[in-house]
Amino acid sequence: MAQAKRILEALKQLGTTHIVSLPDNLARALLEAGEADPDIQMVPVCREGEAMALAAGLYIGGKQPVVVIQCTGFLEAGDALRGTLWAMKIPVLLLLGYRGYRTLGQPQKDSAAVFFEPTLRAWDIPYDFLGSDEDIPKIVSCWKRAQERSRPVALLLTEECS
Amino acid sequence: MMTKAEALDILAAARTDEVVVTCMGAAVPWGERSHHALDFASVGSAMGHAADFALGLALAQPHRKVLCLNGDGSLLMSLGILVTMVQNPAPNFLLFILANGTYEVTGNQPVPGAGRLDYSAIARGCGLWQVHEFDRPATFRAALPALLQAEGPTVVTLHVAPENLGPPVRGPHNPPYLQRSLAEDAHALRQRLLGE
Repeated sequence: MAQAKRILEALKQLGTTHIVSLPDNLARALLEAGEADPDIQMVPVCREGEAMALAAGLYIGGKQPVVVIQCTGFLEAGDALRGTLWAMKIPVLLLLGYRGYRTLGQPQKDSAAVFFEPTLRAWDIPYDFLGSDEDIPKIVSCWKRAQERSRPVALLLTEECS
Repeated sequence: MMTKAEALDILAAARTDEVVVTCMGAAVPWGERSHHALDFASVGSAMGHAADFALGLALAQPHRKVLCLNGDGSLLMSLGILVTMVQNPAPNFLLFILANGTYEVTGNQPVPGAGRLDYSAIARGCGLWQVHEFDRPATFRAALPALLQAEGPTVVTLHVAPENLGPPVRGPHNPPYLQRSLAEDAHALRQRLLGE
């Protein structure tokens, strides 16, 4: 398990100002850490498509948001992602809870997991995995990749944050 | 009921240094009336999300008024934004709903609930308190200066007649703010907002 406070600290060191989110079990501790941090403005939304567009507005307005949602919400938000963060060439980090990650090697797979990575690839979203503290440096590498390509990059939360 | 032209003329006359985000049926006619550096057309973007984008701008730029000229069909695609506006209040944000009861750019098919929806009641039910609606140019013109100064977030429904505009597109032969790509315009807006 990756420690939520270490994830948050890494995000803050990169200049993160806002976390735009809809709750996910895997990211629950991260969202709670964000709520408790006076340096981070939490922006809860009703649906994940709003998160993409609202994050785009925050960025264009000069802020540095991170989007924290579950993979199911990512799938729901497809056209919002396409029409805002992707089409506007905005380098935002997406922290996406990977529901069903552990079912991938099993006979009965969670359908959310079946579609998730193929959809990321289809939608031109590079990604990496974050499941433990050893993966926290990937926050920096993914953020840098987003800046270089001026488009979103995703980090997939494969384990619940602690 | 007003015409869209009357509503936009009134807005354009009262507008000073606010950011204005348009979409769908308002995009081209607004561009014909306004050539302001802080105009932005959510065209070629994601349907239904102009208001979400505009709210993000408002939260990022609390010292500037941000206006979104949204359509009723567009609002219905992301109706939760009204609750998100309450959860993340931006006193500088004004959401205008150009309510014509139709999906104007696809042939004027009626929006769901057309003729029965009360956007003011929905907005108040979500917890918004600066909620207004107008169907006559004179009353809208008289009220607008105070609305622009009020502490929001503000929701204004403008009852306008449907027209026959096609879908707005980007490219030459358009108003200036629709001639470049969405990304170019978005980043140009960012530079202006940041004073770069």
